[in-house]
Amino acid sequence: MSGQIFWNGTALPYRPGETVATALTRAGVLRFGVAPGGQARGIFCGIGQCQGCLVQVGARLTEACLLPCRDGLMVSDAGGPQHG
Amino acid sequence: MGDPRILVVGAGLAGLAAAAELACAGHQVLVVDQARQPGGAVHRQPLPGARSLASPAQARRWRALMADVDAQGARIEIACNTRFGGVDHTGTVLLTGDAAALLQPQALVLAVGAREKVQPRPGWTLPWVTTAGALQVEIKTTSEPPAGRVLLAGSGPLLLALGAELVRLGQPPVAIIEAARPFSHPLQSLALPPPYMVEAARHLARLVRARVPVFTGAALTRISEHEGALLAEIATRKGSLGLAADRICLHDGIRPNDTGLTDSTALPVLRLGDCREALGAAAALADGRAGGAALAARLAGLPAPAASSALAREALAQARLARIYAHDSAAALAALPADTVICRCENRTRADLDALGPSPTTRQLRLDGRFGMGACQGRFCADWVARLARPDAPQPLGIPRWPARPISVAELLAAPDLTSGEFE
Repeated sequence: MSGQIFWNGTALPYRPGETVATALTRAGVLRFGVAPGGQARGIFCGIGQCQGCLVQVGARLTEACLLPCRDGLMVSDAGGPQHG
Repeated sequence: MGDPRILVVGAGLAGLAAAAELACAGHQVLVVDQARQPGGAVHRQPLPGARSLASPAQARRWRALMADVDAQGARIEIACNTRFGGVDHTGTVLLTGDAAALLQPQALVLAVGAREKVQPRPGWTLPWVTTAGALQVEIKTTSEPPAGRVLLAGSGPLLLALGAELVRLGQPPVAIIEAARPFSHPLQSLALPPPYMVEAARHLARLVRARVPVFTGAALTRISEHEGALLAEIATRKGSLGLAADRICLHDGIRPNDTGLTDSTALPVLRLGDCREALGAAAALADGRAGGAALAARLAGLPAPAASSALAREALAQARLARIYAHDSAAALAALPADTVICRCENRTRADLDALGPSPTTRQLRLDGRFGMGACQGRFCADWVARLARPDAPQPLGIPRWPARPISVAELLAAPDLTSGEFE
């Protein structure tokens, strides 16, 4: 393990080179927020095809399964229907 | 002024094989991939310090290909963490991420692989219900077993392969639910090429040793959440049963990842590997090599080289596998309850589809029903919507776009415009 990312403000460890999706999975985080249709967000395809795992980094949404971890990265769930 | 480089999208077997052939013919090649390492889904590389789960044959295949790529030196540039945003009518390509740019390559090779086919089932949108491929990529990367009990369901040889990999990691799946009856076709199976048989035997031996229950001719009909776990309802040939799991992985075969895959009249655009025809790893490598050589010949004004016999052999083997795994999925589809989500992106259900009336038009399905209009552009629902809407004569669900994904203004500003520069 090296460094940490922050998920909704909580520090989580990660392994160098891994994505936010695998770091969250290891930490037991299943739900990545709520999609505009009301369904829970989370990993589905795991390879950047479905956008089911969108998370928020700063002002933008991005796929957790493609986003590399870096020390101090702040990631949060992509919010609820107000984003729709 | 055009860019003299050839752009290859996808650093898996097909993309890198094409790049090696093109570079060998003297071209400059830029290979981009949205993952953090080359390898694609099949040869996903482990994290630093993690052990590789690749079989000796897989490891040899990848080492040989990378040696070919390395031998081309600076003629091949690989840019990871870079996404292909599409190509427009002028032949301009948008790349975002590490190698962000607007560029007009001499030619475009699309080698974006396969997508998994996953049949809808009630509860398939619950958290920790993922594709089998998602778990496979995860364990190839981390070489750690997943936490908790894993149930594999659907149809296709990937379920046995993934099950065997989980055994190897010390975390056998609670069961494998296979819709087809692949073991009841011994003659078809014996006619498969030897590497297929060797692999299947190795997987089965692992599963049998670990006493993993494999139900064939069985279907996972519903997933629900119960006391913090997932509960799967299974219809077997001998009756129904319920199984609890922490993660359920679904897989019903692979299809080309060609949803809205762009074309352009402004430059040669080639599709290679699984995104052209989903025939698996050996075929992707052969198709990449053949396609790269054919493009090099075309750009040099030379006649096209002869078609690859390896590709024809793999196509035959895949057709045989399809027969071994043939099963009736139409009945399961027709029996889906009204509240089953069909379109994951927009949370649209069977009832929403039925409300459009009998034999809805493509226009009704898209504009009134919102099917195929979400972020994934129907990658994961278009097949099912088409079959549910008109079971006897499924129609394509309109013309999808290359799937939209979030791109920030900052990313666009960070993409240097290389389309007007001078090139040596």
